Amino acid sequence: MRIHIIGMGIVTALGSGRRSIREAFLENRSGIGPLSLFSTASHHPLPVGAATIQGGADNFPRTHRLALMAAEQAMANVSAAPDAVVMGVTTGGLSSSEKLLKDQVSDPDMYCRHATGSVAEEVSRIYKCRGPALTVSTACSSGAAALKLALEMLRSGRARRVLAGGADSLCRLTYHGFNALQLIDPDGARPLDANRRGMSVGEGAALLLLAANEPDGAQAEILGAGLSCDAYHPAAPHPEGAGALRAMRAALDDAGLRPSDIDYVNLHGTGTKDNDVAEARALSVLFGSAMPLLSSVKGASGHSLAAAGAIEAVMSAICISEGVIPANTGCRTPDPALELTPVMAPVRKQVDTVLSNSFGFGGNNASLVLGSPDGQLTPQKQAGTGSLRVIGHACITGAGRTRATMDAVANGKTCQGVLDTGEIAAKLSQAAVRRLKRFPRLALALARDVCESAADDPTPEAVFMGTGWGALSETSDFLERLFETDEQFPSPTDFVGSVHNAAAGQIAMQFDARGANLTMTGGDYSFEQALLSAELMAGDCRDGLLVVGADEHHEKLSPLFDDSVAKTKAGPADGGGALYLNKRGHARAPYIRSLLFESCRKDMDVRSVCRSAIDTLPAIDERYGIVLAGLPAACRTMAERQLKALLEMSGYKGAVVDYRKHTGEFASASAVAVAMAVNLLINGQIPASFCIGAPKALGSKGVLVVGLGNCITAIEVMNP
Amino acid sequence: MEKLINELQAKIVDLLNLPDVKPQDIEPDEQLVGGRLGIDSIDVLEMVIMIEKDYGVKIDSRELGVKVFASLKTMAEHIHPNVSGQTN
Repeated sequence: MRIHIIGMGIVTALGSGRRSIREAFLENRSGIGPLSLFSTASHHPLPVGAATIQGGADNFPRTHRLALMAAEQAMANVSAAPDAVVMGVTTGGLSSSEKLLKDQVSDPDMYCRHATGSVAEEVSRIYKCRGPALTVSTACSSGAAALKLALEMLRSGRARRVLAGGADSLCRLTYHGFNALQLIDPDGARPLDANRRGMSVGEGAALLLLAANEPDGAQAEILGAGLSCDAYHPAAPHPEGAGALRAMRAALDDAGLRPSDIDYVNLHGTGTKDNDVAEARALSVLFGSAMPLLSSVKGASGHSLAAAGAIEAVMSAICISEGVIPANTGCRTPDPALELTPVMAPVRKQVDTVLSNSFGFGGNNASLVLGSPDGQLTPQKQAGTGSLRVIGHACITGAGRTRATMDAVANGKTCQGVLDTGEIAAKLSQAAVRRLKRFPRLALALARDVCESAADDPTPEAVFMGTGWGALSETSDFLERLFETDEQFPSPTDFVGSVHNAAAGQIAMQFDARGANLTMTGGDYSFEQALLSAELMAGDCRDGLLVVGADEHHEKLSPLFDDSVAKTKAGPADGGGALYLNKRGHARAPYIRSLLFESCRKDMDVRSVCRSAIDTLPAIDERYGIVLAGLPAACRTMAERQLKALLEMSGYKGAVVDYRKHTGEFASASAVAVAMAVNLLINGQIPASFCIGAPKALGSKGVLVVGLGNCITAIEVMNP
Repeated sequence: MEKLINELQAKIVDLLNLPDVKPQDIEPDEQLVGGRLGIDSIDVLEMVIMIEKDYGVKIDSRELGVKVFASLKTMAEHIHPNVSGQTN
């Protein structure tokens, strides 16, 4: 199968649209200038790469507007809806909500587009996509990682066309956060320069319409992509670039190419001292003396964080389609210590293959290989995932850890609540968690418990994290101190901890998990997105896969951001669940499969969405002994209609558990439900509290976990 | 100077949430970063901000940071001439 780019859109500080970017390349122009988007009380505005926003949607946050501009370009000549949307986003609506928080606005409606996932959902709504809208939040590798997931969706046949990319806007949190880390060059980014002092934060968006085997009019192909994790440090790259090297090698393997096949390397090249050293060392191992032409565009565009990987994928496609290689803008004197010779002025040249790098906090690395659509290279890679075996399961709820939760549920008691943070971290090394607040502690405790429950298995290789809201404590504390100190003394620790993927990075460090490391942020369906991404990535993994879903309750932010928390009459709740999965062996272990992930927006007919769901699912009545259903309080009325329709249409008469009544309202309650499903299957019995009368044997039947509301999802857990 | 060192010991343990370390456990001459205390680059930046906030002393380059955060003593020596005794 070949994956063609049949539409693309790009918005950056260098301009909007392919033609502007091509011209900027040829003129070796920079779009970096002093920040004017918001005022800075404490210092002269630092150089940033700000984009010019045009078009409507004035009431939308900046990230959404950038994404919609890029989407419009990518979909300009296409009328058919994409089968899925996959986007890398880290800031979401933060540029708007941080201002609202500063002004102490307490109306939850004002924060309705805060979520990172709301960007992909908006794009999906406008282009009438009925399938999943996935959001990857792996800091600065998000955009490239999103393209990897899109590639695997196409290869697996789950989609024929996917609209994929990334978007992020400038905001106070990232601007002041990177400044607190002393990672901003006051003279503007000069990647690879001997005198470089850091990056310039930028913004932008890029979307690519990817299609399976549609060569007509294709601008380029995505030949392969690879992910890895440093498992080394929360913010600094591995000094030898070991993780970067693994990502590049994985991408080349995925594309079926050798290093000598690459014509040009689009560097991550942020301009920080450490990044450029690590990347240079990795390149030197990979290419030796046969170094291809290479440059970083971040001295011209700035570093647009989650959008960067997608923006540079579009730029790489422009290199291929237009035959131009951009200069390493900003660099005057290449650092001799790096032993790299970047392209110092634009080059007109035929380019058939590009390797594009994106690395981020949490040690998250992604590399892409793009090629000419006329190229003779035939990608070898085929998707290959069987069902994943569940080797271990764990959860944490208000009732306690796995056993306490399961006991509470079996006895008909609630497990809703907020477990003491000390108790969550009780079995964790105090040195490892000294800088971590509630969300990463939850995630680490879940990872520890699930690995303990899978004791005879080797250590995990890959981590897939789902979280609706991420590190709320760190985000809140960072912003509070920023505002309290008149922007003078923001905390570097809280900034590093505030990124959504910080927890998954911590898990990787604890367990030395150096494979793919993805954090998915899709509101109430984040765990479902994490499981789906694990299935999509399983072909790249040899050993265990950790799938974790967690959310923390934050007294101030949870009711503002999560409408289900605002609406519920039950008290606060948080926690999560985790699975340890493996592809092979363990013949008697249950297996798990994502069966369905459909959007169900207000403009869609509920019954027809349910009808199509029933057509996709196996016969529910015959196959499952119990259905665990998630009905988020925010959209309870619609979710109840959906559940009623699904049960009616399927003729299912068995036990149905409205699990949020047990777990309470939090975005990753579904992760707890899936852990419960595994537990039910292993015990072979439905407790009396879940069905009317006495406990009932499951027999040969499995458990179906259904998510309802703005999406309809289904996950099955079965005995072999 | 001793008073300042004592003050810094308490501040560092509290700021960095160092487990099982009492303020007086940090020796004035011992290696502060990358040593047995587990202090890393993020902690250094946290200390940079604390020093600026509490003592009005700016450390804005990595080269200077390496010298200043070599030990408690070097930290105190760097802060001391810049603050003429007043702290908060």
